[in-house]
Amino acid sequence: MYRPYVLSDEKVYGTFRIVYLFFTALAFHTVLCTSAAHAADRNDYLDSLLKASQVKHLSEDHYWNILLHYKPHSSGRRSLVDDPRFFLAAAGKVDPRAEMEATIISFFEQVQEGVEPPRCTFPARYAWLKEQLSVDESKLPAAQCTKFEEALALINPKSAVLVFPAAHGNGPASMFGHTLIRIDGNAQNDLLSYAVNYAAVTTDRNGFIYAYKGIFGYYRGYYSILPYYQKVGEYNEIEHRDIWEYELNLSEEEVRRMVMHIWELKDIYSDYYFFDENCSFDLLFLLEAARPSVHLTDAFWGKAKFWVIPSDTVRLVREQGLVSVVKYRQSQAKRIHAIASRMASTDWNLAQEVVDQKIYPRTITEMDIDPKEKVRILDLTAELLQYQFARKQLGKDEYVHRFLPTLQARSTLGMQDEDTAVTTVPVSPDAGHLPGRFGIGGGYRTDSFFTELSWRPAYHDLLDQGDGYIEGAQINFMDVRGRYYFRDDALVLQRLRFIDIISLSPRDAFFKPVSWKVNTGLDREIMSGGQEQLVYRLNPGGGFAYKTDLLGIVYVFLETDLIASDELHDKYAAGIGASAGCLKNMTDRWKINLSAAWISYELGDVHRSMKASLAQNYMITTNTGITFSLSQEKTFDYNRSEASLMVNLYL
Amino acid sequence: MKITSLALVISLLLVFVVGTAFGADASGEARKNTGCGLGTLIFQDKADNSTVLQSLQATTNDILGNQTFGITSGTSECKQPSKFAKNDRLIEFMVANMDNLAKEIAMGRGETLEAFAELLRVPANKRPEFYQKLQANFAQIFTSENVQLAKVVDNVVTVSSY
Repeated sequence: MYRPYVLSDEKVYGTFRIVYLFFTALAFHTVLCTSAAHAADRNDYLDSLLKASQVKHLSEDHYWNILLHYKPHSSGRRSLVDDPRFFLAAAGKVDPRAEMEATIISFFEQVQEGVEPPRCTFPARYAWLKEQLSVDESKLPAAQCTKFEEALALINPKSAVLVFPAAHGNGPASMFGHTLIRIDGNAQNDLLSYAVNYAAVTTDRNGFIYAYKGIFGYYRGYYSILPYYQKVGEYNEIEHRDIWEYELNLSEEEVRRMVMHIWELKDIYSDYYFFDENCSFDLLFLLEAARPSVHLTDAFWGKAKFWVIPSDTVRLVREQGLVSVVKYRQSQAKRIHAIASRMASTDWNLAQEVVDQKIYPRTITEMDIDPKEKVRILDLTAELLQYQFARKQLGKDEYVHRFLPTLQARSTLGMQDEDTAVTTVPVSPDAGHLPGRFGIGGGYRTDSFFTELSWRPAYHDLLDQGDGYIEGAQINFMDVRGRYYFRDDALVLQRLRFIDIISLSPRDAFFKPVSWKVNTGLDREIMSGGQEQLVYRLNPGGGFAYKTDLLGIVYVFLETDLIASDELHDKYAAGIGASAGCLKNMTDRWKINLSAAWISYELGDVHRSMKASLAQNYMITTNTGITFSLSQEKTFDYNRSEASLMVNLYL
Repeated sequence: MKITSLALVISLLLVFVVGTAFGADASGEARKNTGCGLGTLIFQDKADNSTVLQSLQATTNDILGNQTFGITSGTSECKQPSKFAKNDRLIEFMVANMDNLAKEIAMGRGETLEAFAELLRVPANKRPEFYQKLQANFAQIFTSENVQLAKVVDNVVTVSSY
């Protein structure tokens, strides 16, 4: 256990011996003696610290587990950090006690020129041990932590904010959102603060490789600190995501502790897993380092749930009483809509014409219209130009050539009382329904009554109440339904959808996104003999959606469908077809989805299928609801009608 | 279709779709700055270009370990303004925010403009006047499409004569 120290000590004595041989004894005798005496003192002091740490069982302390990211593993503990440089003991990853002793020993290392000693690279460990063991710093070799002190002075941590860039509707890569932490210092303006981010570092461009490596931990996750304005630009303006800022009630001392721990993680990697050891999970260690009395990582680690959804972590942080104020920062897309909503829709064209260089920006200022409307037109023009440039729809020269004259024209209109881009703040993501859904109910399907149980671990269905979620975005994972049919006394698996994504992104005057869907899993379908059989299905589609006052979101899809089963002729059927529907909020609590689909299977077991349904959901409380569905289908030549009523609990 | 190949298809698809769904947190540096003027942001391909294919593309993150702690300044290649004390944070801020700054100066309000005023150490009570002066002199600040940020700062100092 003491070996590293003994070895380095021998080296020191060896050096002294050579010195002794080269110089006459007397002049250096005193020096040597005091040195040796100091070394002996230090040895005694180290022993006493090590002993004290054992007596106090410090290596089993909760805070030591937090700082080293230790979690229970088989009979012992194991750190989730994978970088060997994070550990001072060779077995530090799995041996908390050896790591603690190596850390204490490291305080006594002679400081080398130009090398930051462990005390400086692991300031949180040092500070905590110093406090726990009442370390007398004067008995340690002096150390100047220049780099750390400089960073600390620059960040000057005073308070912290948990930042949640919400999902953007159309990209599955962001559908769950992300979390980071902002550290606020002296700057009044939030943009000038620093953001702490945990992310996987990858250079892979291939989505398949990326997904595979991400799920199985082939990427390395690193912490980074960047100016907050960079992150805001990235999320608000490039990805068009709203940002939620949860101000934390951490004290200055607590935030300082967090920054010390962040410093320890500088350039340190952990294997990154999309599902659990992801951005949101790892940030929780930082919050625990700040305030060890909160238990955040344990709420996810080692639980039956093997995934960590960012909004869940936000919810947990809020439940643990860490959040004081919630702020909202709207995306550029929302800003564009907010400005447009204040204008006469006929004036949208004017902005578009300036964008397209059909009229000069100056012309707007000379028009005989309300000065406020001129401001809105030019504000909208500027935002649209930025948007098109970000999307590479405009080259740099074209963009600047239009952008600058627009701003020049705008500047001549002076200040306006109204902030054109102010929008209403939606419900925050942590206030929506919980992502798991358990349902119980029953109904009637041609010829037989049934009871049904359903379970979906995550995340949001088109019919679920939409507060806190992106409108028109559905992601269901592992949606499983079992039924008991009374007539046949049969228990059947009705459905096991591994994944079911629908992204309805309404097209409007400014944005022209493509909506899409994909689902795959097991479904019960009617066979050529009329019996119903479990089939494997893969059903992707693409289309358009529009938002209307009367019908809500109206959508059409062109889709393909592949089903496979031993009961099918040729064991499969592949077809092409279309679907359409409308999704509308009747009231704040009542939502309906009316839809119809038609598929013509041209390959394998050739047949047609038509389905229509009216599904309604009524929210009783945030986490309880009732779903009532009616459907009618005709597949091969068989008709089936179905009605069902389900009570849903979100958990 | 045999069960094994079926299982393979399912698992591959699952890996693909699920993986991209959880992959949001790997988006790192979304843009790189190459220049010191307007419109100098180069955007990397992101996963949200509104088509199915692009939606399924991965977001990527090319940051290297030694660049992850971007708290120390002085890396900007842009010229320092002559009429304002050397201030690396100001330069870095402007490199990243030139377009928004120009927009908000023209509008006379905004968070970027406020941050700019703070970096220039304009006292809080003088800021409304400061914003007003900048807006009124927009054409004297952003003198051309190729104006460089050092020149912008110098022009701001001149027109605000503070």
